[in-house]
Amino acid sequence: MASTACFMIVSKNDIPIYEAEVGTVPKKEDAAHQHQFILHAALDIVQDTAWTTSAMFLKSIDRFNDLVVSVYVTAGHTRLMLLHDSRNDDGIKSFFQEVHELYIKTLLNPLYLPGSRVTSSHFDTKVRALARKYL
Amino acid sequence: MVDPANTKLDRMLLDQISPAVMVLRTPLVEDSCRRNDLSLIEMLAPYSTFNNIDVPVRTASDQPYRLRKFKLRLFYNSDIRQRSAEAAKERLKQVITHAGDKNISELCSRQAEIESVITTAAQELVPSWFQNFNKELIDAAAFSEHEAFDHPVACLVAVSSKDKDPIGKFVDLFNTTQLPHLLNDGSMDPKILKYYLLVHDNQEGMLEKATGILAEMRRTFGASDCRLLCINSSVNGTEEYQQNSWASHKNSASNEKQFGCFLNKDDIEELRNTMHDFSSKHIIPHMELKIRVLNQQVSATRKGFRNQIKNLWWRKGKDDVPENPSAPMYTFNSTESQIRVLGDYAFMLRDYELALSNYRLISTDYKLDKALKHYAGVQEMMGLAYFMLDQSRKDAEYCMENAFTTYAKIGSSCGRNVTRCGIWWAEMLKARDQYKDAAGVYFRISGEEPLNSAVMLEQAAYCFLMSTPAMLRKYGFHLVLSGDLYRKCDQIKHAVRTYRGALSVFKGTAWSHIRDHVHFHIGKWYAILGMFDEGIKHVLEVLACGHQAKLTQELFLREFFQIIQETGKTFEVLRLQLPVINFPSIEVVFEDHRTYASPAAANVEESLWQALEEEMTPSVAGLKSNWLELQSKILPKKYKESNVCIAGEAIKVAVSFRNPLQIPISVSNVSLICKHSTECDKSEPASNGSLDEEKNDKGLRTVAVTGETSADASLFDLSEVNISMQGGETVLVQLTVTPKVEGTLKLVGVRWKLSGSVIGICNFQSDVVRKKVAKGKIKRKKSLKDNLEFLVIKSVPRLEGTIHSLPQTVYTGDLRCLTMELRNPSKTPVKNLKMKISHPRFLDIADQEVMNLEFPTFLKKQTISSRSCTTLDASKTAKTVFLFPKDIASSWQTPVKWPLWFRAAASGSISLYITIYYETEDVSSIIKYRTLRIHYNVEVLPSLEVSYRISPSPSRLHEFLVRMDATNKTSSENFQVHQLSCVGDQWELALLQPIGSDLSLGFLMAGQSLSCFFRLKNCKTRGSTEDKMSSLAKGIADVRLVDSESSGLFDTSVSPFDLFHHHERLHQERHGQGDDGNTVDFILIAESQDDSDTGPPRTTPEILSHYACHCRIGSSSPVWWSMDGPRSVRHDFSSGFCEINLNMTVYNSLEDAVSVRINTLDSLPRSNSITNTASVSGYEHGWHDTSHLTDAKVTPDSMGGRVGKALSPESVSPFIWSGTCSTRFNLEPLSSAEVPLQISVFCQGTFDLSNYSLQWNLLSGDRGDDGNESRVRSGSCHGRPYHITVLQKNKAEI
Repeated sequence: MASTACFMIVSKNDIPIYEAEVGTVPKKEDAAHQHQFILHAALDIVQDTAWTTSAMFLKSIDRFNDLVVSVYVTAGHTRLMLLHDSRNDDGIKSFFQEVHELYIKTLLNPLYLPGSRVTSSHFDTKVRALARKYL
Repeated sequence: MVDPANTKLDRMLLDQISPAVMVLRTPLVEDSCRRNDLSLIEMLAPYSTFNNIDVPVRTASDQPYRLRKFKLRLFYNSDIRQRSAEAAKERLKQVITHAGDKNISELCSRQAEIESVITTAAQELVPSWFQNFNKELIDAAAFSEHEAFDHPVACLVAVSSKDKDPIGKFVDLFNTTQLPHLLNDGSMDPKILKYYLLVHDNQEGMLEKATGILAEMRRTFGASDCRLLCINSSVNGTEEYQQNSWASHKNSASNEKQFGCFLNKDDIEELRNTMHDFSSKHIIPHMELKIRVLNQQVSATRKGFRNQIKNLWWRKGKDDVPENPSAPMYTFNSTESQIRVLGDYAFMLRDYELALSNYRLISTDYKLDKALKHYAGVQEMMGLAYFMLDQSRKDAEYCMENAFTTYAKIGSSCGRNVTRCGIWWAEMLKARDQYKDAAGVYFRISGEEPLNSAVMLEQAAYCFLMSTPAMLRKYGFHLVLSGDLYRKCDQIKHAVRTYRGALSVFKGTAWSHIRDHVHFHIGKWYAILGMFDEGIKHVLEVLACGHQAKLTQELFLREFFQIIQETGKTFEVLRLQLPVINFPSIEVVFEDHRTYASPAAANVEESLWQALEEEMTPSVAGLKSNWLELQSKILPKKYKESNVCIAGEAIKVAVSFRNPLQIPISVSNVSLICKHSTECDKSEPASNGSLDEEKNDKGLRTVAVTGETSADASLFDLSEVNISMQGGETVLVQLTVTPKVEGTLKLVGVRWKLSGSVIGICNFQSDVVRKKVAKGKIKRKKSLKDNLEFLVIKSVPRLEGTIHSLPQTVYTGDLRCLTMELRNPSKTPVKNLKMKISHPRFLDIADQEVMNLEFPTFLKKQTISSRSCTTLDASKTAKTVFLFPKDIASSWQTPVKWPLWFRAAASGSISLYITIYYETEDVSSIIKYRTLRIHYNVEVLPSLEVSYRISPSPSRLHEFLVRMDATNKTSSENFQVHQLSCVGDQWELALLQPIGSDLSLGFLMAGQSLSCFFRLKNCKTRGSTEDKMSSLAKGIADVRLVDSESSGLFDTSVSPFDLFHHHERLHQERHGQGDDGNTVDFILIAESQDDSDTGPPRTTPEILSHYACHCRIGSSSPVWWSMDGPRSVRHDFSSGFCEINLNMTVYNSLEDAVSVRINTLDSLPRSNSITNTASVSGYEHGWHDTSHLTDAKVTPDSMGGRVGKALSPESVSPFIWSGTCSTRFNLEPLSSAEVPLQISVFCQGTFDLSNYSLQWNLLSGDRGDDGNESRVRSGSCHGRPYHITVLQKNKAEI
């Protein structure tokens, strides 16, 4: 498992709708904004890269020092972004696919407004479990 | 594709890679130049750059071309060495600090929108000092021994004409001890082109002397290499120029002094000519010559196949030679150096192809020699040459990258070279519009040195901005990174500048951490710079950071207060985010003609009250024709639209504050901001309304300040509240303002003090009003602008009313006597009091004399004779508005008490609304009447569930069996059932069995249930003559269910029992199908039993009354009958069939005569059973069966079952009716008749004689239609089971 990993779902309007620190290293206070900065800046790259490929998993598209950003773009242009320091492409891919499935389930909830924050605790526990499993 | 010759990189290269000239001068030369505030180099610098020198040059292969741009770099001999690290750092710092100071004014300017940032030209946006900074960085890497382009090409020796022995000086100046180490340590050729310049100051001496010296010089050094330069020809030193060419070159000095003030036009012309001559006639030809010589040498030694093989062989052998770190690796006369010099000279003369070929040649050599620094340097030059040739783009990039990584690999010693290479590389990419890549390069340059990194990151940020499409997020991120580094180097101005740029991207972002970080830091830094207003503005943005961790919240808050403290004053902040005001939940409650007894009453929906008051208040139509007319005369239109409140009566505003943080905060001095204007200055509020937003805010501030002074205190009173809020808490604060003087009062906003240091102000008008539409309690019809404006009128009396000891929780049926108290605090009397209660079933008005009686004892029957048959006063109950007697209204000195009856009629949560109307005596007042609205909530718990079943007595005609089932539904309460009464004159009620002494019949524990049987007798059957007598004899309509004789029975025919009975009857009416005399109303009275264990003993026993109205007696038909006859008969069937005589008594319970026909049926058709059951189900209507322990004989469903059973398929009926099959007769009202019947039985057995039917119809022909259409006029009933057993008579028995 990665020592640092920050997972985030960004809606198509570039608004973060879910975020979780899934690394083993306990979260540092000052890291929170740094992670957001890196992921936010990586959106610029995603914007370019997403249309060059038909694949949903864009692999590592951006890096900052030793942190790498991997992105998975869904059909609705919701972006699943992972900031990590380990190199485990297969694991990350599986992680993204399973989270995507979870996210679709959330979308199917008639009470969930697409593009709003995902607050389901069930979703959260599932994502963390997946992170433990794959990352 | 951009022509590389016009790019920025080209200009940079012209600046950096151009022939260097070493300048040697005597102090006197320097002195002469100092008159102009310039050094010699500075004076010459503007004229050593040529934009169009137009010198013909030949390449090594004799290809002629013309050189256009050319530049000489002049250095003093002492400057030709690498700068020390400290010096370089210091210079960079200077540049940055200087730049920062220049920009300070912009820091407070308005924030640019990001859209405009994108559209503005990049040149405007990118700070211009970047160029200077980059130049300094590149200069810091100059004069390295591994590069030849910094090696001086020529030496300019300047001697003043005043010097003694000028010729000697010229020789002395070129003394080896003074020369830079590059020449001394052998990395460059000490044989260098020399040019001798005699500087003559016209102010100091005569020209003749100078010309003399020049002639001598020419003789000594050769004619062409000497020149005389006359300066300072201007006499008074006031020469001014349109464009001062020195100013742009000398960036660091101030502009206050005019440069070159002693130089006149001739001098300048001479300067120009001197430098032109020097470069075109000496330097360029010298370089050209050198290129040729070197090229020949290189061709001889290195070109061709043989030389290459030789070279390789030789290189291999050289591998094991240890490198001497102190001495330069390659001396000037080594082949490698020569090739390098050749390349650099070619490059400087813009013969890039020659340069490139030589660089390539030497590059492999250096690589094989592992001379990494040299290798990197050559790669760098190759990259630049590729770029200038505009050839392979890929190669250029490859070379630059290679150079960059190689430099980086060498380590810290080459840090400057890394930076220089990176800057060139980035410029190259920028020239090709590869901004994104350029940004990457800048990012790579940023290393450990924070200041450099900061600038590089900032440049990277601008690259992202300029790339297409603009990468704004990257731009913002890199600006933030750079700002952090600036902060680390204490360059706060720059830090603020970068963050401001970043803010234009991150403004309003949903990425909360980013937003908080940027706002917080920029705010903090502004405060460091002393710009507190800006600082506070930004820190305010992050105060409501509920999403942050607790520590961060504390940090933010602490920093905020620190800034506030530094300002040294209590700061007023508009729209302070802490605590947050929940706008939709703001409620304004005021009283005009409507007054409320409690806040709860004010929360009740207005329509509910209006419906209740409809009958009492003056009618709408009258109001419109009279009132409005009158009002419009009295009042200007403006006031009609505003709300009315009364002087001395408080306007309550409930504001809900929410603490978004996890840490507790203390809020003090919460109060409203109000504006009061007396009626005389009418123009004031009007003008205020037209103020625009910003001005309004300012006005608000002043109001807030003056609010503390005593000036306003006389006009209105404000309440102040202090609260302390825990993390995440929401507190509803009740604020009041009490106007004291008539006029107009306007609620402007709310203010509070956070932690005793910051005053927060929230303006209702600007933010609230739109949101208030949904929930505001203020009249909807009015325009919202006026919502918070009140017309204050002079005081009118206001009644206060309460109901004493109204319980919160009661059990169903609880009956109480309550007291309502009305007070009038003012001296002015009121009149015309009226009252209306929303639920008369629960609460009703009692007679005033009840006050003096003891409840509930007075309800008990005193004697039987005292009972009077009072019928309910129909007018009293029908009219729901109660008018208080006039005499009460006029004398309001003491509070008036009035009794009320309360009965918990049904379980559930009951809201009781009471409204009291009164009029003021004062005619002149705008408000003619007022209403007092009282509201109570009562929780009613279920207590006893009672159900009744009445069935006709099988044996007696006018009697019914009543079964009462009572269940105690409570969990803890015990009840004593006291009595059961039935309402009405015609009923007599008695217990079926008398209560035994051992039996406590009516006691019901929690959860217990009870069944009782009663006999109900209809007295109306008697003839009309007997009626009066029997009514007197009656008194048995009540049955005591307790055995103790001491407690008397309650009289159910007096108030409040009859009152509530009336309401219950109305309420329960819908269940019954009409009242045709066949229904009974029961009242069950129980007392709650004191449970000594729980609670204090009650002072009075609680009375519970349960009403059950419209209980149907057991027959749906108005015609009752009963069959009389033997139940069992013994008969000897051998002597024939048995005849049995029966007697049927038929009674007409109606007030009209009916005709009755009895049909006897000998066989029961099958379909009959269906109709039979159908009628059974109709018969069952309104009943509910509480248990199956009922008498089988009288249950209707068991009857149906029996009928079905009797239908055996084989049977011929074992008995037949004898006599006529149909008998018809008429019955007078309330009379009975007897009909004889006979059956013949053929065999023994038990028979059910239910196979007859009875049909009746009203004989109403003579009476005509009495208008009661709904009344049932005819009907038919099936026979009731009557079992008869016939047995064989045993002869032996006879």
